[in-house]
Amino acid sequence: MATLLRRALFPLRRIPSSPRPAAGKSHGAGLLYPDHIPTSPLQKALLAAGSAGMALYNPYRHDMIAVLGETTGCHTLKVLRDQMKRDPEGAQILQERPRISLSTLDLGKLQSLPKGSFGREYLRFLDVNRVSPDTRAPTRFVDDEELAYVIQRYREVHDMLHTLLGMPTNILGEIVVKWFEAVQTRLPMCILGALFGPVRLSAQSLQVLVSELIPWAVENGRRAPCVLNLYYERRWEQPLRALREELGITAPPLRVQGLA
Amino acid sequence: MAAPRTCGLWSYCGRGLSRAKRNCGLPGLRSSWPWGPLGARLLSQEKRATETHFGFETVSEEEKGGKVYQVFESVAKKYDVMNDMMSLGIHRVWKDLLLRKMHPLPGTQLLDVAGGTGDIAFRFLNYVQAQHQGKQKKQLRAQQNLSWEEIAKKYQNEEDSLGGSLVMVCDINREMLKVGKQKAFDRGYKAGLAWVLGDAEELPFDDDKFDVYTIAFGIRNVTHIDRALQEAHRVLKPGGRFLCLEFSQVNNPLISSFQVIPVLGEVVAGDWKSYQYLVESIRKFPSQEAFKEMIEDAGFQKVTYESLTSGIVAIHSGFKL
Repeated sequence: MATLLRRALFPLRRIPSSPRPAAGKSHGAGLLYPDHIPTSPLQKALLAAGSAGMALYNPYRHDMIAVLGETTGCHTLKVLRDQMKRDPEGAQILQERPRISLSTLDLGKLQSLPKGSFGREYLRFLDVNRVSPDTRAPTRFVDDEELAYVIQRYREVHDMLHTLLGMPTNILGEIVVKWFEAVQTRLPMCILGALFGPVRLSAQSLQVLVSELIPWAVENGRRAPCVLNLYYERRWEQPLRALREELGITAPPLRVQGLA
Repeated sequence: MAAPRTCGLWSYCGRGLSRAKRNCGLPGLRSSWPWGPLGARLLSQEKRATETHFGFETVSEEEKGGKVYQVFESVAKKYDVMNDMMSLGIHRVWKDLLLRKMHPLPGTQLLDVAGGTGDIAFRFLNYVQAQHQGKQKKQLRAQQNLSWEEIAKKYQNEEDSLGGSLVMVCDINREMLKVGKQKAFDRGYKAGLAWVLGDAEELPFDDDKFDVYTIAFGIRNVTHIDRALQEAHRVLKPGGRFLCLEFSQVNNPLISSFQVIPVLGEVVAGDWKSYQYLVESIRKFPSQEAFKEMIEDAGFQKVTYESLTSGIVAIHSGFKL
């Protein structure tokens, strides 16, 4: 029992007098990737609980949702990573590690694409909703470098999902996308977000959500192959409609206002 | 005889040497210093002293100042909230105990270094005001047979409710001072308070100016603690008191709390790294006895310390005699 407790408190080294995480002594040594912060299981548990509470208390703390995802997802991320390895396109993504940010996107090229293409629609989504792909926080608390990339990719792909599903970035749209992601990835953070997100909705929105949007999102989530396996950067020219057909995503019920 | 002469030279040039060290930045000048053994010692100390610690990280000395500045710049707005969370509000008790130990009387000139958000300064003002009022009440009670004119004059002379006390809050960080000034304004503190931007290793004050020098939870962030102690010695009047409230080595290592603090920092303030630095810098700080010796080295006498809350913090006290 004492050893179990000790192992929970001290992650790597077993020196009782210096229980700080072993890595992170001097700049860069022992860190698996830049921005990595090694944490003990106790710290991860506290972070998970604290971030969940804070995210509910203050929904504008997006960083808390990111922390929740990192601290609760270790098992699920492994499953996702293995699934990506089995798929040819997914394996390529894992190998090449593309990142989606304003510096890597060629906005001029996307602008020049024909209307209705995936790239053009994605750009329109960014403009209309006034979001940028650079607001995603870097991964910090995942203790495996490949899994850290997987969760980073998941975050960066989130905006693509908005485009594919045609959902805006208001709270209703975000909840619908969360349900889709929960069914697809089974990350605990998505499941929690999907279940607790609606807590702050009005009765009317809640009704629309439960009666039409959630069943639609769940159905599409089940039908579509894993969205992390798509090499989006190579599919900018593909017409959005064709991409939707390929994934089996049907048109959303028209009630959701706002554009995607 | 050679020995006593060098001893005399040593004690004479001790203070002058430290000032010379500050003023001349050229190592060449130091090596040509007439006192041989002193010069050699300085050079070797200089070589060893180019690196220092920032928490558990090893950084150069120039870097440490900048990094510490960034930490406090980012935590300034949530500093008080985080103090409450991390110490469960007990930090207020520690600061109250510091004031009680100080027991300042009206007329005291206090220098509070690294006192950014003003906790010690405000407590000091409350304390001397209460003391001054108590004294005045006693005076009035003792003088029973006053004429109406004399009583009226006493009420008119109520300008200085502090009895001439003054606290100078000095901090190297602009953000912390801003937060402190705002707090003072919100709580209505005006008289007897001054805010100065300054470095504890090189204070912008003349010699022999203050009655009391305090530094609460600040000295572990200073790059050269010995210089800060020497500066403290310089600006105090003879008979002046040095008081330091700082984290110390615990008797029962509270392992969990050091793990919890960065987590709290992340959840409440969105800032893991600053609180990780805090935890590491506490670990790196010398023990009660070692710090006592450092204070004695700076020239203070009658140095004592008192551990609070089983050693989590300690108040060190010394006198300039």
